[in-house]
Amino acid sequence: MNQLKYKVVPQGAAEGRIPINLVYIDKKDVDAAGIYMKDACAAVAKDLNAPASIDVIDLDAVTVTSDGIMAPCAVVAFASADRGIINPEFGFIGVSEKPYSTQIVKEEPHLRQWNTEYYHGRRLYRGPYGSDMLPRWTMNETQTVTGRIANNNTGSEVMNVVDMTEILTPIFGMHQIMHDGEVLVGMSGPEVSVGIGMIVREHNGRIFGWGSVPAGGTAHASGIYAKTVKSDCAIMAATKSVHAQFVLRAINCGMVVARDISSSPVNLAIARAIGSPIDVDNISKDAWIELESVGFDRKWVESKPEKLLTQEELVAQADDILPGIEGGKKFKVSDIVEVRYAAY
Amino acid sequence: MRLMHTPLPDFYEKLKNAAKRLRPETEVSIRGLENIKTAKLASLRVGRVENEILELTQDPEVAKIEVVLMDRLPETARTVVVKSYDKNGVGKKAILENIYITIPAVDCEVEDMQEVEDRRGALAVADPV
Repeated sequence: MNQLKYKVVPQGAAEGRIPINLVYIDKKDVDAAGIYMKDACAAVAKDLNAPASIDVIDLDAVTVTSDGIMAPCAVVAFASADRGIINPEFGFIGVSEKPYSTQIVKEEPHLRQWNTEYYHGRRLYRGPYGSDMLPRWTMNETQTVTGRIANNNTGSEVMNVVDMTEILTPIFGMHQIMHDGEVLVGMSGPEVSVGIGMIVREHNGRIFGWGSVPAGGTAHASGIYAKTVKSDCAIMAATKSVHAQFVLRAINCGMVVARDISSSPVNLAIARAIGSPIDVDNISKDAWIELESVGFDRKWVESKPEKLLTQEELVAQADDILPGIEGGKKFKVSDIVEVRYAAY
Repeated sequence: MRLMHTPLPDFYEKLKNAAKRLRPETEVSIRGLENIKTAKLASLRVGRVENEILELTQDPEVAKIEVVLMDRLPETARTVVVKSYDKNGVGKKAILENIYITIPAVDCEVEDMQEVEDRRGALAVADPV
């Protein structure tokens, strides 16, 4: 019997901050096994025999965060597992590749990051196509469901719909899990809650399609309530210094906050701290209501900090500059992850 | 009009009768449609469920039949109607919204069963645009 390696962040890990089992499989290990990703998820579900999300991560691909930052890995398939199985109809979704074209880079200006030395030539995966989603339809969220577990937004938001716990798993946190780095685990808080609604417009995005709002807008459009949408759920993110470095990569290739990448509180805070341009006039009225509700009013955004930071200083002071995550604590991935092997 | 769709009260009646046909003491529980007060159900499927109940009660050890009706998709979209009224109960304004609801998948309903036989039709929807 062959063995497939997988990583699990078990429920209760990070001093009780992780509410649901989170499983990550390296796409390379699936390829080496010579099996389908769906079969890999089924093997892991059987081995773990517990409620869990499963994300298959391709470390040679790229994806894009909600707020428009390119990341050096991607969720290429995601699943929900419970009591040893993957629901045959709704438990698994594979994500089709989004091919490179000059047209898509023109339509989605944040994809200019794709042309940089960091990401050039990598395959892009964001959200599933409609055909990946069948038998779900276009109004369904990009979500798998088995038993109690819903793995939503292309593997970045996991819910137990019986005990109703929930955790956000942003891509840079998953990146750290795969690379045995460090993660910041806590409660997401109001700034993250506002930020995840501030997106960039994409064809087949991780959560939204082309009909959604562009950079500078808000997909939440729920006024002062946006800060409560996801403020009280757990989050497993990269440390703020790591996150800052990826945002700086974007800014350094010409991304303008609120024009090319979104006006999320994190992007605004970073751009303001280093004096990078912000397209303030492009921030919509609805977005301003949400930003003001977490203290990011136009006067503050347009004001100059007492001292502009260098990029090195920003990374060093990221814990103080980047907003969001309450009660967070940094954990070495090796301290919270278990490596296991599933028979296939 | 025996081929018409089955009225909701008849549906409950038919299922209860089917469960008690062999042994009147058989317990019956039907849940899942509590919020629906008036509805019609496809008669062909009602007949199939009646037959399936009868089939299960063929086992002399069966003392209880439980019928659960749940959404075929574990995530469904609902229309939300937000309505306002004045103090006399006269309707003022309604706002319509979408909301999505994710429920525990059917796996949770059958977890304690020794055997599950899936006779549902395959889901077939048009390719999304």
